[in-house]
This record gives sequence, C-alpha cells and structure tokens, in this order.
Amino acid sequence: MDKKLGLYICTGCSIGESINVEKLSNIAKNALRIPVVKSHFALCGNEGVELIKNDIKNEGVNTVVIAACSLRVKYEEFDFPGCIVERVPVRELAVWSQETPEDKQLAAEDYVKIHVIKAQKGDIPEPYVIETVKAILVIGGGIAGMTAALQSANAGYQVFLVEKEPQLGGFVNKLYKAVPTAVGEYSEPLIVDPTIDKVIKEVESNPNIKVYKSAKVEKTEGQPGAYDVTISSNAAGSENSEVIKIGTIVLAAGWRPYDATKLEHLGYGVSKDVVTNIELEEIAKKNNGKILRPSDGKEAKKVAFIQCAGQRDPNHLPYCSAMCCTGSLKQAKYVTQNKDATAMILYKDIRTPGRLEYYYKAAQNDPGVMMTKGEVTGVADAGNGNLHVEMENSLLGKKVKIEADLVVLATGVVPATIDDPILNLQYRQGPGLPDLELYDGFADSNFICFQYETRRTGIYAAGCVRQPMSMAEAQEDATGAALKAIQAAEHIAKGIAVHPRSWDETYPDPFMQRCTSCKRCTEECPFGAIDEDEKGTPYFKPNRCRRCATCMGACPERIISFKDYHVDLIGSMIKNVSVPDDEDKPRIIVLACENDAYPAIDTVALQHGKIDPAVRIIQIRCLGSVNLVWLADAFSRGVDGMLLMGCKHGENYQCHFAKGSELASYRLGKVQETLGRLQLEAERVAMIQLAMDEYDKVPKMISDFVDRVKEIGPNPFKGF
Amino acid sequence: MPEQVTTQTISPDLKFVKDIIASGGESLKKCYQCSTCTVVCNVTPDNNPFPRKEMMYAQWGMKDKLISNPDIWLCHQCSDCTAYCPRGAKPGEVIGALRNLAIQHYSPTPLAKMVGDPKYLLMLFAVPVLLFLAYIVPKGFLDISAIPRGEDGGIVYSKFIPIFPAIDVTFGAVAFFAAVCFVLGIKRYWTDLSAGVKVQGNLMDSIKATIIDIITHKKFEKCNVTKDRKTAHLLVFYSFVGLTITTTLAVVYLYGFGYESPYPLYNPLKIIGNISALALLYGITLVVGNRLKNAEKAGKGSYFDWLFITVIAAVAVTGMGAQLFRLADIAILAYPTYFAHLVFVFFLFAYAPFSKMAHMVYRTTAMVFAKHTKRD
Repeated sequence: MDKKLGLYICTGCSIGESINVEKLSNIAKNALRIPVVKSHFALCGNEGVELIKNDIKNEGVNTVVIAACSLRVKYEEFDFPGCIVERVPVRELAVWSQETPEDKQLAAEDYVKIHVIKAQKGDIPEPYVIETVKAILVIGGGIAGMTAALQSANAGYQVFLVEKEPQLGGFVNKLYKAVPTAVGEYSEPLIVDPTIDKVIKEVESNPNIKVYKSAKVEKTEGQPGAYDVTISSNAAGSENSEVIKIGTIVLAAGWRPYDATKLEHLGYGVSKDVVTNIELEEIAKKNNGKILRPSDGKEAKKVAFIQCAGQRDPNHLPYCSAMCCTGSLKQAKYVTQNKDATAMILYKDIRTPGRLEYYYKAAQNDPGVMMTKGEVTGVADAGNGNLHVEMENSLLGKKVKIEADLVVLATGVVPATIDDPILNLQYRQGPGLPDLELYDGFADSNFICFQYETRRTGIYAAGCVRQPMSMAEAQEDATGAALKAIQAAEHIAKGIAVHPRSWDETYPDPFMQRCTSCKRCTEECPFGAIDEDEKGTPYFKPNRCRRCATCMGACPERIISFKDYHVDLIGSMIKNVSVPDDEDKPRIIVLACENDAYPAIDTVALQHGKIDPAVRIIQIRCLGSVNLVWLADAFSRGVDGMLLMGCKHGENYQCHFAKGSELASYRLGKVQETLGRLQLEAERVAMIQLAMDEYDKVPKMISDFVDRVKEIGPNPFKGF
Repeated sequence: MPEQVTTQTISPDLKFVKDIIASGGESLKKCYQCSTCTVVCNVTPDNNPFPRKEMMYAQWGMKDKLISNPDIWLCHQCSDCTAYCPRGAKPGEVIGALRNLAIQHYSPTPLAKMVGDPKYLLMLFAVPVLLFLAYIVPKGFLDISAIPRGEDGGIVYSKFIPIFPAIDVTFGAVAFFAAVCFVLGIKRYWTDLSAGVKVQGNLMDSIKATIIDIITHKKFEKCNVTKDRKTAHLLVFYSFVGLTITTTLAVVYLYGFGYESPYPLYNPLKIIGNISALALLYGITLVVGNRLKNAEKAGKGSYFDWLFITVIAAVAVTGMGAQLFRLADIAILAYPTYFAHLVFVFFLFAYAPFSKMAHMVYRTTAMVFAKHTKRD
C-alpha cells in the first residue's frame, strides 16, 4: 500500500515540558520526511482523536504514528481501522524513565525514529481465512467430556463425542455411591446415588450432540477449523470408520487407576483381602453396599484404608491424585453403614481442599471412622485370617500394627495420555501432545492464564487427563475448555490468532522460493504448525500457528515474515538506533518480549523508575523470534551490547509460547561462540529471564548489564 | 508413659468410642491431631504431654491406654485446651468423660453405670426416699401436725426422724459401703497403674507432696481460661472439711456427753457448721456461675458433672433451709426440707464412689502415683 505517514506528538502527561517538541517535529519533517506532523496537548481526548481522524479523512493519512504513551494504554482511543497505527512510548521510555533533559530528548528522538521506520516497514494484516467448520470434537464420555459436550451444544455448536467404552459415564459408572453436592456444610447422608444417568440421558437426547460409543480417534489430519478426523467404532460387533470435519477439540480422555500389582509391599496380589479403592467400589456395588471380603465372603468390620498407596512416592506416582482422600472418606461411610464396623484411614496428609473440608469434618464425626497420620511400611498376615498394617512414626506410636480384616489401597490417577497419543495427530512433530513428561504424562500446561491450553492450537484438555481432580472440578474444567474450544473455532473462522495473541490477524508468510528445506522451522515450532510435503519442504498450516514467530527466529534464510513483523523490520529499527560517538557513552539494545518483559519495563516507567540512558528498548513478540542476524546488525553498527529479556524457560517455564525463550537461550549459546571468533566478547550479549512481578528488579538488571559492558569497553567496530 | 519401642498391635474398640461420646465427650471426633491443646496446657508434664495423645487414643477406642492412665487425672480441666482448639474438639470435656468412664470402670458395683446414666436417676433417688418414708409413714408423720414438738414447743427434727437408728445407722452403713467401694476401686486402680512401672522415691514423700498440692490448690493456679475456679473449688473443698468437723463434733456431743440437738446458734458446733454451710453455698454458686460463664469456651459439661454439682447445691440449700424454717417455726416447710436434705445427703455419700465425688479419691491416687514415678 502507498503510505502516507502522519506523526502525532502528544504534549500532555508532562511530555511537552520535558521534550523539545519543536525540535522533534523538525527532525520528523526534515530528516524523516514525514508529510504530516502535528502535536496536541491531549491526543487521547476527543479533540486529539478527531484531529487524527480528520487527517485520515482529508489528508489521506493512512499510517498513523502516535508519539505519546505506551501501546498498553489508550488502545481503544487510538484505534483507526484501515490504517497502520504505530505507538511510540515517548511518555514511558523517554520522559518518565529518563533522568536528565538531554537523555529524555535523545531517547524521544531515537524512539520516534525507529517507530517511524517500523511503521514504514510494516503492512496492514490480511487475515488467513479458509473454509472452516465450528464443530467441536470431544474425546471422552466421562463426566468431563459429557459436560464439555453439553456446554458446547447448549451454546449452539455441533458436537461429536467419542467414547471408547460401549456406554457413556466413564469412571462414575463403576461407583457404588457418590459424594453429595452440598450447598452449605455437608450433612448425612454423606453418600448418595450418582446422578450420572441424568447427564447421560441429557447428552444422548441432545440434537446437537452425536455420540460414538466403543469408538476411538484413528487420525486427526489438517488444522483447526478444518480438521479431518477419522473415527472408528466397533458398535454391535461391526467395524465402522467415518471421517468428520471438525473445528476444534476438547480432550477429556480421563484416567485409569495406577497398576496395583506394583504395590506388592502393601500386600496387593499377596492377600486377596488387599484391594484397590476401585475394587472396593465394585465390591460395594455388587453386594448392594455390603463390604464382603474377597477371601471368604464374610462382611468386613475392620477396614484399613492406606492413603497415597503408590502416590507421592518417587518410585511410583510422584504426585497427589487429589481425589483419593475424599474417596476414602466416602468409602469409609460405606463401611460404617454396618454400625459395628470401623473404617481406619491411615494417611500421610488428608487433602480435602475447598468445601470438601466440610465433607472431611462430617465424615470424621462418625464414631466408626478412625484416622491417623503416619507412614505405612507394609501389610502382613496377622495369622488369624486378618491382616496387619504396619505403620511407622504414627501418632498412635512409633511402630504399630493395625489389625484389619480388609485393606483398601487408595491408588492414584494415571492419565490416559501416559502411553497413548489418543488424538493421533498427523503432525510432523508426532501424534500426541508434546513434552507431557513435564507433567508426569498429564495433558497439562504451564500457560498461566488458561490452563486448558495445550501445545496444539485448537485442542484443549479438561478433566483428569489434564490433572487429577474431583468430579466437581472436572465439570468446571470441562466448561472452561469448551469455552476455549468455542473461542478458538470463532477466531479461526475469522483468521484471528488465539491466546496469547488473540487479536492478531497476521500469519507466517514464507517466501518459499528461497527455502532450503533445512527444517529448522518445522522442528522448532512450539505448536507443530509446520509440516513437510513429500519432498521435505516445509508446509505451513497457519491455523495451528500462535504467531510467536519462533520460525522467523529459526530461519537462516530469513524468509519467514508477518505483515507487521519481520526480520528486516526489527533489523531496520536496530540499525537506526543512534550510537553515540563518545566512547564513554555505550549504546545497548534491549529486545524485550511483549508478554512479561516489556510490560515489566512499562510498569517501571509507570512508577517513574529510572532506566539506564544507555539502553534503547524494542518490543518483540517472543525471544523465540530473535533472528541472530539482528545481533550482527547491531554490532556492525557499533552497538556495545545486546540484552534479551524474556520469560522463564525450563521445567517451570513461563514462556507464553512454551519454547520461545528456551530456543533463544540455545541459539544464544551458539552465537556467543561466533562472537568470540570475531574478537567480540561473548559477554556483550546476555539473556535475562523474568516474570512480570519482578518488574521492580528491572532497572538493576539493566544497569548491571550496562556496567558489565562498560567494563568490557567500547565496541571496536564503533565508527566504521 | 514409656516410649513405644516394641511394635504394638492396635485393634480399635468402637464401643469405647461410643461410650466416651455418651459420657460427655461428644466433640471427640472433631480432633484432627494438631496438638494445639498440648501446647497451651500448663498442667501437663513436658515429657510425653497430654491431651493430644489421649485424644488420639480416645478416637481409636484404645481403652487400655486411657482408663489406667494417670494423666487423665493430672488434667484439672482448666479448659485452656478446649478454648484454643481450632476444631471445637473440646479436649477438656473429652478427658472429663474419660474420668467419668474410669470411675465407672473401677467401681466394684454396677451402680456407677447407673449414676452416669440419667435414665436411672429416679431409681437412685427412690432408695433414700423410700427408706426415710419407711420411718415416718407408719408413725403417721405425713400429717405434719402429728409430729411431736420439743419441750419448748419448737421444731425438733429428731422427733420427726430419730437420730438413732434412722440417721446414724443409715448413714453409718452408707459410709461403710462407700468406704469399702472406694478401697476396692482404688486397689484395682493402683494395680493397673503400677503394672510394669518402676516406682521411684519414697511413697510417703509423694503423699505429703500431694496433700500440699491439694490443700493449697496449687495446680488450679496454672489455668488461664477458668482462673476463677480456684476460689470456687477451694471454698467447696474447705466447707466440706468444716462440715466433717461439724459432724464429728455432733457425734462427740451425742455419744460422749449425751447432749442432743438442736444446739443454740452460739454453740461452737453451730458456728463451725453454719460458716461451712455458707461457704458451701457461696462456693457452689461460684462453681455454677463459672461454668455458665465459661460454657462457650470451656464446654457445657456432662450430665455426670451437673448431677454432682446439683446434689451438692441441694445439700447446702436444704441444710440451710431446714435450719431457717425450724428457727422460724414454719413446720409446713421445715419438715419436707429436712426430709429432702436427708435424701440429698444420702445420695451424695452412698453414691460417692460412683459419682463425680469419686474424683477426690482417684485424682489423689493418680497424683500420688505421678509424683511417685516422677511423672509430676
């Protein structure tokens, strides 16, 4: 598009008093050759906005550069559809965070210049719109899956529900009784009939839901909005296979109990009277509430519950399965339906969070429910047909044996995704969700804002496949995931990205003629958005993309671009930052990730914290998008140091694109070797990981780096 | 209590749990073993302190660990634990219930069960009522005007119910019965206490130290929440001492000097008796007042407790009333009040080994034992 630039300088918020606006205007007019340059004392007010709108209408301005405040504020006022809008944070980065009048002026001039260049280099996005469907596939017909299906269907979306068993209901089908849903505190009866049948009926009678039973997802091909999902079902003995068009997916594949045969030390498999919590449900269900011992069919009167059996144990499951404490309290009430029976709960800790604390209190009040804390070390034959549960460090004594006629192991939750990709994605990066070992196999995520997000766009996890949780939590989870699936389907239909760039209409547009098929982008994309064709050439599926531009950072040919974000665009900004001739005044460029680092810097400025005048800050999408050529650009211009600020990576990563900052750190390791060969000190480049809440440390982080660079001395390429 | 070194086998006794709940420990199950109680208790020894362990044993129905445990008597029910318990488990009340059960356990007769259970209350009262009615009905004394007067025309209770045999033989027998029951109970208790425990030090020294503790009421000073209990209990305790002296003097007067009641108010016996009676009235009023005042923090108390308090109060009120009505010559009130007084005194002493009155003996024994084993 033919651009006509307009630069609008706001003189409000003390900008006018701190900056020589006339000088700035002259630079813009003469050096930067901007045809329309205006200033106003309150640009964000009606009059100011009208001034800009008037120029758009009458002067043909279509690229609006606003030198005022940060883009994180006043975005509603400065919204001019059809125009490129570029915000120069003069208030924050020049006025509020700089100390001396000279520093303020220099910073303002620099920032105006580089943002004008950004506006000149960028383009208006055109969304990627293909023919899409908004149908939602729900995998798993347990309480989570059925809730997700009903929520989506009731919101008007077509739902396909796939269940592997011949009937819906999931694990609840196995239960004798359920924990009641209480409004206030819990009161007797503490065990009630499960209401899953009602939910099943609701699902099966909903015209918007098509249910596949005894079915599984054979293949998921394509991209969100246009998935081709092959479902195979084995209904009534005949194999059927069907391909359906799907928009987005809720993964609610649930869990299975931990393999109790690994718990021989707790007597499982040794004595018939050692059963799992699931087996106890089956016993109670089969005998209509009577707890009969498997060995002799006699009614059990002294039932010991071993909590955390094979859980919170590095040799088995390292985590807490969240549901077993409440489950055992409930099962203890099965036992004490017989007024002569005692249920003994042996625990490491009782974990009944939230309102379940009231359930714990209510169950505890039963004289027949006895509890003690300690470490169960084993289960042995008592010699009289009963069992001895051996316990150490218990409150009952240092070493005790508790006599029981039945022992119940509270075994834990293993996610369905532990050994089965389930989704069977036809993605170059593999059929399942990546890196689940970070979450012990659960389809969980570190996405701070939306826990249902996975690393496959358009696929949201809910229920026990995501985290161990109670039925009530699973329903909440499923509702959240359904909302995200709906939102994603809607965004994708319009060609807009989803979280975290949920406004973004750009998408990666590679210049394929120059592609060398090195496959770095396909391997490094955190979201598996890039497949390869038969010849091994990368093939972008934009609807899978979250627009982090990690591919852009990866590409050695620098051919991957977004309309308003590409290697040349940021590179040009870097190259146009002023570099002082004075050797005592270093110039350092900070590339700050838009997710945490830049907002942290913005917050420092908002609180009038001071940032070292040596630095110029450029906001980027993600550290993953940093192409190493930018470093070469900067150092060849005489810049003394480069600081990359982004999210934490590693096991507890906070990177909003999961892998971006980790990849940046990896790539940086390589570039530092290269710098060494160029006789440039590797320490001139550094990376800092920080979270938004560490904003108060930002000024020191930056000045420490500046000090280190000062110690190294000026860039020898300065002045060339 | 020695550290558990050998593996102990635990088989919970559900019935005992239910007994504790029925005997005033209804909040027992709320305990979640945080040990706040043990931390705030000023009375417990530092080593192996109470009441958390007792709460745990009680929740699991571990009767053997509790019934013969001297710690339940070292507890003076200050209720600091109950006030600070975050779960409302009221350890003070639970330990109180355990003491009630211990009294029942060591009692050689099933009477203890009956005293602890409100459904036998009428039956227990029926015994003295029928006994004394047996003296007055045949004489036609239900008609008050038929009761002969003294030489000066005043009311003389010995003409209503004769001192001998009605009063002295009855109460002599009652005292003997109670003493025998106490001896049998304490014997069993001491045997359980000392089973497998090595005693240290001189028993006489332990007894001396215990007596000093009791006459000074030193332990009560450690209470925070129910500070006022010291005065109340001290008054009741010393009034009982005074009334014992009064009774002894009366025996001496009658059988030593043939001097029959009623005695004039200036008589030393009357002076001691009346001062004691007033102290008892005031003391028991304080007891009731404190209990009501502290009910929210310390718990409302068990039936067992309140029965004992009520009987003592009734003894004091009817005793004082009988004297006043006699002096005022209001026959219609005087004779029934005196009758009631005899019934309550009977109740208090005949059932002493089975009621809370027995705490006097069991607590003293436990305190001696604790001192003897260097527990306290």
